[in-house]
Amino acid sequence: MTIFLLRRLGQSLVALFGVMTLVFFIQRLTGDPTYLLVPETATQADIEAMRHALGLDRALVVQYVDFLWDTLRFDFGKSFIQNVPVTTIIASRLPYTLQLAGGALLVAIAIGLPVGLLLALARKQRWTNILMGVVLAAQSMPTFWSGILMILLFGVGLGWLPPSGSGSFAHLIMPSIALGLLSMATYARITRSSVLDELSKDYIRSAKARGVKTGRLVTRHLLRNSAIPVISITALEISQLLAGAVIVETVFAWPGLGLLTVQSVVSRDFVVVQGVVLLGALVTIMMNFLADILYSFVDPRIRLDGVSG
Amino acid sequence: MTFSTFIKAAALATVVFLPANAALAKDDLVVNLVNEPATLDPHMQWNPDSYYVYRNIFDNLVTRDDAGEIVPQVAESWKQLSDTELELDIREGITFHDGEALTADDVVYSVKRITDPEFSSPQLGQFNSIIDAKKIDEDTVVLTTKSPYPALLAQLVKLSIVPEHVASELGKEGFNEAPVGSGPYKFAGWDRGVQVKLTRNDAYWGEQGAFKTVTFKSVPDASTRVANLRAGTADLVVSLDSDLAMQLEGSTEAQVLSAPTERVGFMGMNTLVAPLDDPEIRRAAAMAIDREGIVEGILRGGETVASQMATSAHFGFVDSAEPIPFDLEKAREIVAAKGDAAKVPMKFATSPVYDQRIVQAIQQMLNEAGFNVEISMTDMATYLKAAQNPDQMARPQLSFGRWSCACQDVDGVQYPLLHSSSNWSRVNDPELDALLETGRTTLDKEARLAAYAKVQKIVADNTYIMPLYQAAALYGASNGLEWQPTANESLFLNRMSWKD
Amino acid sequence: MMKLLKTLREAFFPKSAKGIPVGVFVAIVAVLVLVAILAPLLAPVGPNTQNLMGRLKPPGTVARGTMFILGSDELGRDLLSRLIYGARVSLSVAFLSVVLSGCLGTVLGMAAGYKRGWVETIIMRVVDIFLSIPAILLAIITVAVLGPGFINVILVLALTRWPRYARVAYGQTLAVANMPYVRLSKAMGASWIRILGLHILPNIIAALSVVATLEFGLMVLFEAGLSFLGLGVQPPMASWGAMLSVGRNYVSNAWWIATFPGICLFLLVLSVNLIGDRLSEYLNPKSR
Repeated sequence: MTIFLLRRLGQSLVALFGVMTLVFFIQRLTGDPTYLLVPETATQADIEAMRHALGLDRALVVQYVDFLWDTLRFDFGKSFIQNVPVTTIIASRLPYTLQLAGGALLVAIAIGLPVGLLLALARKQRWTNILMGVVLAAQSMPTFWSGILMILLFGVGLGWLPPSGSGSFAHLIMPSIALGLLSMATYARITRSSVLDELSKDYIRSAKARGVKTGRLVTRHLLRNSAIPVISITALEISQLLAGAVIVETVFAWPGLGLLTVQSVVSRDFVVVQGVVLLGALVTIMMNFLADILYSFVDPRIRLDGVSG
Repeated sequence: MTFSTFIKAAALATVVFLPANAALAKDDLVVNLVNEPATLDPHMQWNPDSYYVYRNIFDNLVTRDDAGEIVPQVAESWKQLSDTELELDIREGITFHDGEALTADDVVYSVKRITDPEFSSPQLGQFNSIIDAKKIDEDTVVLTTKSPYPALLAQLVKLSIVPEHVASELGKEGFNEAPVGSGPYKFAGWDRGVQVKLTRNDAYWGEQGAFKTVTFKSVPDASTRVANLRAGTADLVVSLDSDLAMQLEGSTEAQVLSAPTERVGFMGMNTLVAPLDDPEIRRAAAMAIDREGIVEGILRGGETVASQMATSAHFGFVDSAEPIPFDLEKAREIVAAKGDAAKVPMKFATSPVYDQRIVQAIQQMLNEAGFNVEISMTDMATYLKAAQNPDQMARPQLSFGRWSCACQDVDGVQYPLLHSSSNWSRVNDPELDALLETGRTTLDKEARLAAYAKVQKIVADNTYIMPLYQAAALYGASNGLEWQPTANESLFLNRMSWKD
Repeated sequence: MMKLLKTLREAFFPKSAKGIPVGVFVAIVAVLVLVAILAPLLAPVGPNTQNLMGRLKPPGTVARGTMFILGSDELGRDLLSRLIYGARVSLSVAFLSVVLSGCLGTVLGMAAGYKRGWVETIIMRVVDIFLSIPAILLAIITVAVLGPGFINVILVLALTRWPRYARVAYGQTLAVANMPYVRLSKAMGASWIRILGLHILPNIIAALSVVATLEFGLMVLFEAGLSFLGLGVQPPMASWGAMLSVGRNYVSNAWWIATFPGICLFLLVLSVNLIGDRLSEYLNPKSR
């Protein structure tokens, strides 16, 4: 087991290295920030001078080695645009991203899990179909559209909530719902289908036949055994919520990492993009790592030692 | 009960629960920008979201009044000593926000700072014709330029004076984080990604601001900016197009403020590659564009059809110039007569920051005349890279832009767009180049005007570029705000106030 | 053939019908597909014909002798015509990107789950890498390197979405690969391609079809999102997402611009999701 964990950790580091290398090079395929930095009237010489000042006129390999060396020393560089250390910029955005991701996950799980369970247990009932329709409807609108409608209704028309921005709990409500509704349906579906899957298994049937109470059945067997897909989805969802809130953050002017990512990619602020991607990759890869390990706890059929057959 | 009465009823109900809104006690002005400032060090970057904020923290050597005239600010008066020397008389009694006096030394330091290649200011190109700054006595400074430079004063409008004792001590990074200036507002804090706060400088030498504090927030989505304004959580928002502004018309809580700018909207053509290397085809393309339709059908924000690449606010504007007439039939005839030569596919390069309504309107108008135009929309960095390709021939065949040099001088518009050595130019005409150089390096006003009159004739005769309209800047403001926006597209807070 | 039809009928119009039969949603999608195919016949005028003096006209306005049945947009184009042509773009982008990412992800995920060892290591780490790169970065890079366009939107979507299928296929394959009959057939010397195709794929297709249908809806939404960020199909080409992302700026003065594409998009995504839902229930025999 320990050997497995170490090996898996090693692989994760290799993947991390892969991400950073890939991001380093593909970004530089798309131009550089100099044109956006200089005024429109700049001459070619001004542009070259700026490029030189940023160190972007050096050979790509040299820049890459520099980048690796700096990263190994935990020096993540300074933003080309803002001239401020990347760590400062990310640190200022991270709390907002965590708030939003937390809020959205809460909305998604608090609604999605019970709904999914309900849908599975009461699947013979007529109203479950309508419930499922409602759940799916919540996921069938682009957030940039539902977002502005929410803003106009609750922010402008009714004046219940601040239309955009950050700073209080009230500010967090609309973005969390807009983002959370997307994942909510995913949770409901996955929970339902995996619970249904378990329900049809022999041990449940025999447990039922033996007269085990439904509540006990659900808590002791069903939830535990149908947890794999849910865990797998959570791992994916968390990393997506961290990075994928781009549109919600844009619409609600929420100062999270998603907005920062778009703004830095668009302005070719390579250093900031590298920082954000490194953080995102760490989270994603760790989540997948954790999901793999959790698999092995909840479902011993999957053997982690890699010896199959 | 209709939906809207439901909303009204519900809104009424909430009044009971919420404290009276903040409209009464307005000490704080909230401004919504698109992005947060890149930097507040005025020597580091010249982009709108940055200078909207920092021009309130710093005083510049000279400035422009609401009518667009260059007027004294830090420099009380000036005189030209020779073709290359300008003497500036520094105003006495200005103090920085830390209480230290602004002296001739600070002026010299500021000039040297921004022109130092080691400092690598992105604005270096605007100031590198200044080769020396000398302090003559406590309140006199002499600037020396490489060669005669008529646009010098117009450039000095953009030169902010920073305190030597603070900037040299804190260094580039430190000063960016805690800028100290002498302007009507003081830097109070920057919550990165969220907002920048300024407080009034009660010891300001000039006109005092009306607001105790000002908050600049970044709101990237234009619809959200409008919503903030309507909900009363913003008092002033920038970057609206006319259709968004229309939503505010007739609203009880907000108004649209607009001003003609010195920006000229234009359609750029690559005159060096087929099919637009043929002057007749260029002429046909120009005639196919219905500028009245664009100005009156789409924009409707106070724009006017342009006859040349300048506005009447620019030095070098030619009164007698006439716009190229819109004549779709004639354009069609020419295109048909040219046959395949005119049907070479053309790429219309653009990026989301440009008004896509106009880009699509132009594309459709050209295609209706028989051209084969396709829009190629990329993000801004990719667009700029293509538009400023070192190889002139590889620059976009068609583009739409709105150019401003923030200098109100034809040189700042026409030289970068038309001189063959410039990054943007898709024209290569030695006669034109010579005239533009004359205009750039001659101090005699009459001689410059004569040169620009010839430039205008050559450009029009050859249809090197297609001027479209003089752009207007639109702002949304809460009804209580009193402000007349100006052509220079700056937000000078001490020129705004609350209505009584 | 008859058997297949019967199966489909049972799936979509079960005898014990509860709520709205899924057939209704199948019909909605079928109609939308038909509209997309027949667009040139159905559209009253060209989707890109402008009338700058007839901008933002409400539904029913007559301008230049033709009626804007659903109103006109910000350039005076007929909204109905754009909606009809937009169906083509929205449906084909979503369909092609699901096919592309689904095939790629499934094959790689199954291979990883079955072969294990270094194959698994490499594939699953590549999955990790792709999941870690922000989609917006991939989108901008694709556009910057290959140029903007319809095909590249599909490529962007496929590139960002295949890891999802890969992870599901991988997880499911792991669970199935140790089943007795798979072991048996392996012991009998069946080739791994045969095992994957005959024994494993049929067992995991239910889970994958849930993912694929969910993804189809998501792809419609993602295309819209790319348009919102200025990275979608090229203007003036109409897609529902592009129309919606422009129309949202006109909610209070020209509600129709966003409302109609919004309804179409909503109906499409909802129908596809409901169909997928029913399909997964049906394909998963244990749950019935």
